[in-house]
Amino acid sequence: MTATVTPAPPRRASAPDTAPGALRAFVCHRGRLIGAGTVAALVLGSLLLGGGSWPASLAVDLSGPLDRTSDWIIDNRDGHPLFLHFLGHVSNAVVISVRAVYLVLLALGWAGVTAAAGLVAWRVAGVRPALTSVAAFAACGLLGMWVPTLQTLALMLVAVAASVLLGGLLGLAAGLSDRMNRILRPVLDTMQVLPAFAYLLPVVLVFGIGVPAAVLATVVYAAPPMARLTALGLRGADAGVMEAVASLGATGGQRLLTARLPLARKELLLGVNQSIMMALGMAVIASVIGAGGLGDRVYQALAAVDVGAALAAGVPIVLLAVVLDRVTTAAGERVGAAPAHRAGLRWAVALGVTAVVAVAGRLSGRLSWPDGWTADIAPPINGAVDWMTAHLYSGVPLVGGTADWAARFTAWVLDPLRGGLQWLPWWVVLLTVGALALLIGSWRTAATAVLAMAAIGVLGVWDPALDTLSQVMAAVAVTLVLGVALGVAAARSTRLGRVLRPVLDVFQTMPQFVYLIPVVALFGVGRAPAVAAAVVYALPAVVRITAQGVRAVDPAALESSRSLGATGRQQLFQVQLPLARPALLLAVNQGVVLVLAVVVIGGLVGGGALGYDAVLGLAQGDLATGLVAGAAIVCLGLTLDRVTQPTERRDLAGKGA
Amino acid sequence: MRTPHTPPHATAPPRNSASVFSVRDLWKVFGPQADRVPADKQLGALGATELRERTGCTAAVRDVSFDVRKGEVFVVMGLSGSGKSTLVRCLTRLIEPTSGTITIDGEDVLSMDTGRLRELRRHRAAMVFQHFGLLPHRTVLDNVAYGLEIQGVGRGERRERAAEFVTKVGLDGMEHRRPSQLSGGQQQRVGLARALAVDPEVLLFDEPFSALDPLIRRDMQEEVVRLHREEGRTMVFITHDLSEALKLGDRIALMCDGRIVQLGTPEEIVGAPADDYVRDFVRDVPREQVLTVRSVMRPALADEYEAGPALDPSATVHEAIEAVARTGANARIVEDGRCLGVVDHVGLLGVVAGIPATTGKAVA
Repeated sequence: MTATVTPAPPRRASAPDTAPGALRAFVCHRGRLIGAGTVAALVLGSLLLGGGSWPASLAVDLSGPLDRTSDWIIDNRDGHPLFLHFLGHVSNAVVISVRAVYLVLLALGWAGVTAAAGLVAWRVAGVRPALTSVAAFAACGLLGMWVPTLQTLALMLVAVAASVLLGGLLGLAAGLSDRMNRILRPVLDTMQVLPAFAYLLPVVLVFGIGVPAAVLATVVYAAPPMARLTALGLRGADAGVMEAVASLGATGGQRLLTARLPLARKELLLGVNQSIMMALGMAVIASVIGAGGLGDRVYQALAAVDVGAALAAGVPIVLLAVVLDRVTTAAGERVGAAPAHRAGLRWAVALGVTAVVAVAGRLSGRLSWPDGWTADIAPPINGAVDWMTAHLYSGVPLVGGTADWAARFTAWVLDPLRGGLQWLPWWVVLLTVGALALLIGSWRTAATAVLAMAAIGVLGVWDPALDTLSQVMAAVAVTLVLGVALGVAAARSTRLGRVLRPVLDVFQTMPQFVYLIPVVALFGVGRAPAVAAAVVYALPAVVRITAQGVRAVDPAALESSRSLGATGRQQLFQVQLPLARPALLLAVNQGVVLVLAVVVIGGLVGGGALGYDAVLGLAQGDLATGLVAGAAIVCLGLTLDRVTQPTERRDLAGKGA
Repeated sequence: MRTPHTPPHATAPPRNSASVFSVRDLWKVFGPQADRVPADKQLGALGATELRERTGCTAAVRDVSFDVRKGEVFVVMGLSGSGKSTLVRCLTRLIEPTSGTITIDGEDVLSMDTGRLRELRRHRAAMVFQHFGLLPHRTVLDNVAYGLEIQGVGRGERRERAAEFVTKVGLDGMEHRRPSQLSGGQQQRVGLARALAVDPEVLLFDEPFSALDPLIRRDMQEEVVRLHREEGRTMVFITHDLSEALKLGDRIALMCDGRIVQLGTPEEIVGAPADDYVRDFVRDVPREQVLTVRSVMRPALADEYEAGPALDPSATVHEAIEAVARTGANARIVEDGRCLGVVDHVGLLGVVAGIPATTGKAVA
């Protein structure tokens, strides 16, 4: 009985009370209205504006001012007070802490690091994750990637610490103050949908290429999930518990420390988990701006189309990702269980064993991974790839080869799509964007989408942006067809669901960068491999959201349809899919956001378009080009997110996060 | 508010005892510009729907006055939405009242500053909640000790005292479990122990047993009765369950739409419903188990002073029926060796049949 405590909201209550028919009529009416408006605008536009690409008169050339800014920063980096007293310190602090962590890891030696990883995993997560992490670190050494692994690990540890701290503080502010929440939430939401690549250029502009830029880009990328989940956890504290705590006379500080924060532990740990996974993904991508480590090896190898070397560096990345995810997830699941017997003692044992192993490693004089213990997998892999190139690329009877597929996909899907988009008059594109966003979301999302799309034109990168868009559309179409089919199948068949789950788990933890390796092996370079990588990357999320949505359909509704004698197909199309509509819309939205992130990175393997501009800008120090491309990527990300953003998305995302 | 029918024969607490909580003209209105509703007589008189349409406000507590006497169990009872939970939260300002006065031991609660209010919540009034409100990450022992912890009691001492109360509510051996490992009834015992551990002057119960199974609920009710008998602590008990109210309450305030429609002993509520709402409410109560013989006796005739079984005035009609049926004679009501009157089968059957007693009033 709490009805008396919550006053009925006066206005909102009346809307659902009115017959649902009225609501549906309104929606239909709205759809017709948007359609009519679009037709009218089309007629008017063709009369007044004509066709063609974005008009040059409406574009602004930013390369001059951007170049000047970039030059100014380079000239003043050593003299201006802003750099001397603030940014310089930030940069130094980052370099020193990464260096320090790296030296500590080196000093522990390979045995010490492996033992420490295993024992920490044992303490926070249990025996199985501990064994996994020992095996993973050993594998990193075996692959001859010990030093790059440590470099990546050091950079990541610093970045994760900073983003957990920063994100935690922001989340605390948003969790405790409604005003901060209103301000931060849209910012964090937007940051979450932007491709990782877009974060690289601004930090490079300020800090130049190097470790500080890489760490800061990683922090900026990895902090939002921590902040979001912290705020979510703090806001979601059980009201009954908070009231009981208040009724005992707890002060504000006591309420926060003894109740609100502990109650949010699950979300906080999930936030740390997400931060770590995002940081790993970014630390690898940031190799483009001088992060070094494993990502750099992959980057160099991909540039030389040396799949074997790329794989040798890619496997440790995947192993790190899996280990970090397993350990933090298992730690999160342990929350709430009774603490282990004599936890302090066990920690002491873990610490002692680590110390002993580290000292033993030191005394035996083997700090770095022994050279003799490595297996170079690059040559055999390259052999296999060569064999594939020779035998599978093309000319396989009946099915054709992978390169044939890629070529055909490019010629039959990507090219016409790109041609069509670029042929469309620019205002028709804007109109379509606006109408679609209006249909799915609200006038506000539509306005943002149209403005962001127009900004791309103003930036003067209309054509490359449409090129990127065509790749995104093709990839999203493939992803959705495959993803929804798989998701529905997984939801309807428990066995398939059980088989699929671990696969999805692994796929979802892998950093975006890694997906480029196998597609280059299979399809060579070009736009088709970029699309393929994007599909593989986005697929798990789409499958998962669809399966969850279909599975979450009210069993009573399903049962009643079955009792009326509905066939399986009728149940699917008339009950499950309609009721899972919010989840399906979310799947589309997520699919689009994830696909864009990888399509942009595809610029590294010949995807061209905006991603290539960004990479080129970084590689040649032509920051103006890069920044314009980066801004266009941000705008495209915003447009795509808003166009596919159903109004209920917030609630769903909140629950799913 | 209707004037409470002052009981001429209040049962448990001595009549002259001081009141712990004293509530006057209390209003709690939710919504925009809530202040104007209690201030405006016209608005205050509106029904719930009309008020919401006119002002967008909901009046959860309307012009309520009552006293909670020291040592009694004061039950506030009503259906969901009647404002009883809001009312009990107003007592310690977990919900800030809109207008009116509340005093505890003569001290004005509404004018207390934060520190004083905290003091009130820490030492003088502790609450037991319907959904327990336990901290899931703490053991039973640490949950019970929580109230002491926020008072700043040292770890050793608070654990010692908590252990004592864990035993008192019958949770021996479960000190190191987490709330999630306990049944609902056990969790509520933890909630009860947590409230008791701070040794409050008043215990506030907000529908504490509504979420429990019937059997466990009965156990817990008996636990409360036992605690009250042993310690004599003042209790304010919120419930929507009439039988629970009748079983535990020394006095019952029956609420409807934010108002107290009747305040009195269980016997008065059942025997003399103030209006149709209350009458409807108590219709199915086995009246013979609530009403005492005092309310149905008639003056004894000359030849009745000596004959028949003797009963105490506080005996229930149910007991009288048994006595009359066994002996076949009218029962005498005897207090301090003096015969106050008699009950006969006509009066007793009248109670069972629900026919208004014609005899009782004259005597009292």
